[in-house]
Amino acid sequence: MKIKKIVMSITLTFFLVSGAWAATDFIKIGLMAPMTGSWASEGIEMKQVLELLAQKINTSGGLIGKNVEIIVEDDGGDPRTAALAAQRLATSGIVGVIGTYGSSITEATQTIYDEEGIIQIANGSTAVRLTEKGLKHFFRTCPRDDEQGRVAAQTIQKLGFKNIAILHDNTTYAKGLADETKGHLQSNQIKICFFDTLTPGERDYSTILTMLKAKKPDVVFFTGYYPEAGLLLRQKRELNWKTPFIGGDATNHPDLIKIAGRDAAEGFRFVSAPLPKDLPFRQARTFVEDYQSAYGKKPNSIYALLAGDGFRVLTHAIQKTKSLKPKMISDYLHHRLKSFRGLTGRITFNDKGDRVGDIYSNYMVVVKTAFVLQQ
Amino acid sequence: MKRFIFTNNYILWLIIILFFCSPMVLNRYWVDVLNNVGLYALLGLSLNIILGDAGLFHMGHAAFYAIGAYSSAILNTQYHIPMIFLIPVGGIMAALFGAVVARPIIHLRGDYLLVVTIGLVEIVRIALINDVFGLTGGANGIFGIDRMVIAGLKIRKPHHFFYFIFMFIIFSVFIFSRLKQSKFGRALNYIREDETAAQGSGIHTAHYKLLAFVLGAGWAGMTGVIYASKMTIISPESFSFWESVIVFMIVILGGSGSIAGVILGAFLIIGLPEVFRGFSESRMLIFGGAMMMLMIFRPQGIIESMPQMYKIRNKP
Amino acid sequence: MEQFFLQLTNGLTVGSIYALIALGYTMIYGVLKLINFAHGDLFTTGAYLGFTVLASIALTDRLGQYSGIIVLAIMVMVMVGIIGIVLERAAYKPLRQSSRLSAVVSALGASIFIQNAIMLIYGATFYFYPQDILPRFTINFFGIAVPIMRCIVFMTSIALMIFLYVFIQRTTIGAAIRAAAIDQDAARLMGINVDRVISIVFFIGPALGGAAGLMVGMYYGHINFTMGWVYGLKAFTAAILGGIGNIPGAMLGGLLLGVIESLGAAYISFAWKDALAFCVLILILIFRPTGLLGERVADKI
Repeated sequence: MKIKKIVMSITLTFFLVSGAWAATDFIKIGLMAPMTGSWASEGIEMKQVLELLAQKINTSGGLIGKNVEIIVEDDGGDPRTAALAAQRLATSGIVGVIGTYGSSITEATQTIYDEEGIIQIANGSTAVRLTEKGLKHFFRTCPRDDEQGRVAAQTIQKLGFKNIAILHDNTTYAKGLADETKGHLQSNQIKICFFDTLTPGERDYSTILTMLKAKKPDVVFFTGYYPEAGLLLRQKRELNWKTPFIGGDATNHPDLIKIAGRDAAEGFRFVSAPLPKDLPFRQARTFVEDYQSAYGKKPNSIYALLAGDGFRVLTHAIQKTKSLKPKMISDYLHHRLKSFRGLTGRITFNDKGDRVGDIYSNYMVVVKTAFVLQQ
Repeated sequence: MKRFIFTNNYILWLIIILFFCSPMVLNRYWVDVLNNVGLYALLGLSLNIILGDAGLFHMGHAAFYAIGAYSSAILNTQYHIPMIFLIPVGGIMAALFGAVVARPIIHLRGDYLLVVTIGLVEIVRIALINDVFGLTGGANGIFGIDRMVIAGLKIRKPHHFFYFIFMFIIFSVFIFSRLKQSKFGRALNYIREDETAAQGSGIHTAHYKLLAFVLGAGWAGMTGVIYASKMTIISPESFSFWESVIVFMIVILGGSGSIAGVILGAFLIIGLPEVFRGFSESRMLIFGGAMMMLMIFRPQGIIESMPQMYKIRNKP
Repeated sequence: MEQFFLQLTNGLTVGSIYALIALGYTMIYGVLKLINFAHGDLFTTGAYLGFTVLASIALTDRLGQYSGIIVLAIMVMVMVGIIGIVLERAAYKPLRQSSRLSAVVSALGASIFIQNAIMLIYGATFYFYPQDILPRFTINFFGIAVPIMRCIVFMTSIALMIFLYVFIQRTTIGAAIRAAAIDQDAARLMGINVDRVISIVFFIGPALGGAAGLMVGMYYGHINFTMGWVYGLKAFTAAILGGIGNIPGAMLGGLLLGVIESLGAAYISFAWKDALAFCVLILILIFRPTGLLGERVADKI
C-alpha cells in the first residue's frame, strides 16, 4: 500500500507540474480532423493542406512576426471523440481551430470552442442548424444544405427523372439534405416513392437494395457519405440493377471508386462543389501544383481545400487586425472580409458565419474512374 | 483496513487535501481529465454493487447510464425542468428500467447473464440511434441540454464540475460503505460467495440480486444526468458496449468489491492514458496487453477487497 | 414472392458467414467453457492476412482464378489457426485453474490487443481487396437472378461445416474433442491429452473464422480493423441461439440468425435489424435457455 501511495503522489505532482506550459513564440492554430475512422482519408489531406500553407507562411516571414504552428487532434469521425479532442485543443493556447468534416461531429464541439472564445471555421459541415445558434465565433467555408438541396433537386429535374427514391443515413447532414431536397422536389410536383434511412458503418446493404428495387424508381438519391455510397453501388451491380444513383456532396471522394469497383462506379453522378483539379482560380491552380511537388500527388478532396481556405481567412484576419483577440478577428471576418480570394473562390461571410456565394452550381459524373465536371 | 487508512495515515489525508486543491493550479484540460475520472469512478462504484458485491456478470452498464442521461436530456429540452431536479429523476428512470429488464434474466448462469447484458446494451443503443418514439434525436443525439444550477451558481466550468462530481463521489462512497455493512451488503456477499448455501440459509437470492441491479442502475442513471449536463450534447455513441467494457475493467482491475480499488481503477484506466497521450497510437495495445497480464499475475485486481469486518455490539 | 426469395438468399449468405464464425466460438466454449472474445478479431486477422498475401504474391495471376483462391484460403486458414494456438498459450492456458471471470477479462484484453495490433501494423484506413479476382455473373434460380458470389460463399461455408461435422463425429481426434467438452478430467483419466485437444480446437476454430474473414473481404471488398466487432457479436448470438457447445447448433443458429435479420430488415424495418437479432437472443435465453439444440444454461435448484 505504501508504494501505491507514493505512486499516487508522484502522479498527482506530475499533473500539477504539467499545468505550467512554457511560453512560446508561436501562433498556434488548431486542426480538428478525422485522422482515424471511416473518413480518415479526408482528415489526412486536411492536415497536409494546412501544413503546407503554414510552411509557406513561415518561410516568408511568418504571421505578424511569429511562426505558425498547426496542432492536430483526431476527432475520429464521432461526436464524443471530437468533444474530447476539442477539450484538448481548447486548452492548448490556440487562436482558432479549423474543422471539421461531418456536421454532427462539428456540432458536438461548437459550445466548447465558443465558451473559450476560440474561432472555429468548419470546412465540411453543411447542416443548416450549425449557424442558426447565434455563435459569434463560428464560421464555415462550405455551403449549406438548403443550397445543396436546391441544386440537387434542380439537377434531378433537369435530368428528367420523375419517380425518385431518397435514401439517407440518419446523420444530421444526410437527413437534413434529404429533407431539403425532398421539399424542393415535392413543391415541383415530383413523386417521391421511397424515403428512408440505412445504417452507416455496415457492410451488407443487399436487403435495402432489394426493397428499393421493388419500388421501381427512376433514380435513387443517396445523401450519405462515400463509404456507404461505394458499397451501395457495388452491391446494386451485383443484383444486376441498372437504375442510376445520384449522390450528395459527401459522396465526393476518390475512395468511392475503390470501394465500388471500377465498373460499378461508372456513370455515378453526384452534386458537389468542384474538385480541386477543376477549380478555375489562379490561387487554386498554384496551390494544386505546390501540393503536388510537396506530396507527390494532387489533392483529392475539395474539403481539404476548404480547410485550407479556412486557414487562409483566419491568418489573413490576424494579419489585418494585427491581433490575436477572438473578438477582433470575428469582427473582421464578419464585417470587413469581402470577396477574399480563396482557393475555392471568393469568400465573404454573413452575420451568421455562413459563406455567401454560389459554389454548388454543378454536378459530376464518374467516367472511367475519373470525376468529370458537367455544367 | 479502510478505517485504519483514514485515521492513522496522514500521508493519505495530505494527498486527499492536495487533490481537492488541485483545480486551482491545474489547467482546464487536466481538471477535465479528473472530471472524467470522477464520472467513471461513479460508474464503477455503481457497477461494483452488481458485479463486485453480488458477483453478477454484467456488461451492459452503459445502458443504465444512457437511460439516466437521455431521460434527463429529454425532460430538460422538452419541458425545461432544471437539471438539478432531474438527477433523482434520471436515477429513478434508470432504476425502473433496471428492475424491468433484470427481472426475467436474473436466474441465468454467469456467462449467459453476461451475454444477455451485452445484447441489452446494444438494443438500447440501437433504439437511441433509431430515434425511438421520436424522442431521442437519432444518431445525432440531443443537444442544448442546460447546465445545473445550485443556489444560483451555474455549474459550467471544469472546476465547478470537479467539486460537484467529487462531492457526489464522497456521498456515494459513504452510502455504499454503509450498505456493505448492512443486511443487504451481507446478503450480497453471501450470494456472491456461494449462492446455493445462501439460498439454503433462507436468503431470497432473486430478490437481493434484483435489488442490486436496481441500485446499481439507479446510481448509474444519476451519473448519466451529471454527464448530460456536462457535455450539453449526448449521442448514442457514448453509450456503447465499449463503455460497458471500460467500466467493467475499472471494477475488475481495481479490485472487485473494494471501493478504494474501484476509485483507483478509474484513475488508472482513464487518467493514465491521458498522461501517455504522446504514445496515443499504441495506448490501447498496451491497455489490452496489460489486461491480459493483470489477469495472469494478479487476478484479484490491484486493491483486493478485504474480508468484511463487522462490529459486534456489546451486549451488557 | 421474388422479394422474399431474394431476401432469403441474402439472409442465407450472411448467415453462413455468421455460422462459420459461430463454429469457432462454440467449439472453444464447449471445451474450455470460455467465451473467446478475441474470436472476432481472429476473423479480422484472416481478412487482413488474405489481403496481404494477395497483394504481395498475386496468387490468382499465377495459379488462375479459382485455384488461386483455394490456395489463398488454405494459407490464410493455416496462418490464423497458428495464431489461435499462440493466443491460447499466451492468454488462456495460464488461467485454466482460475475463475471464469479472469479468463473473460483476459479474452477481452486479447481482443483489444489484437485489434490494435492490426491497426498499428496496417494503419487505420480501409483496405480494398483487388476487384477483379472474383467472378461476377448471376445465376438464374427459378427465374430469379442470384449473384454467383452469394452461392459460392454459401456453399463454401456449408462445405466447411459439413467437413467439420464429419471430423468431429467420425474421427478419433473428434471423439477426443467431444470427450474433453463433456468432462476434461474424465477425459484426462481416459488417457486423452487434453492440452493437445485444446490446441487442436484453437487451431480449427480460428481457422474457420479466418476463412470467414477472407470471404467477407473478397465478397464485400473492403476491410478495416474494427470489422470483427459486429460480426463477432452476431456470431456469438448465433452460437447461443443454436445452443452453445453444440456444433450443428452453431450452424443452424448462424443461418437462422442471418435469415431472421434479412427478413426482419426487409419486412419490419432496416434500422432495427441488429436490435432484432439481440431481441431474439434475449427471448431465447429467457424462454428456451437450452438454445435450439443445446445444453442447459440456467441454474435453478
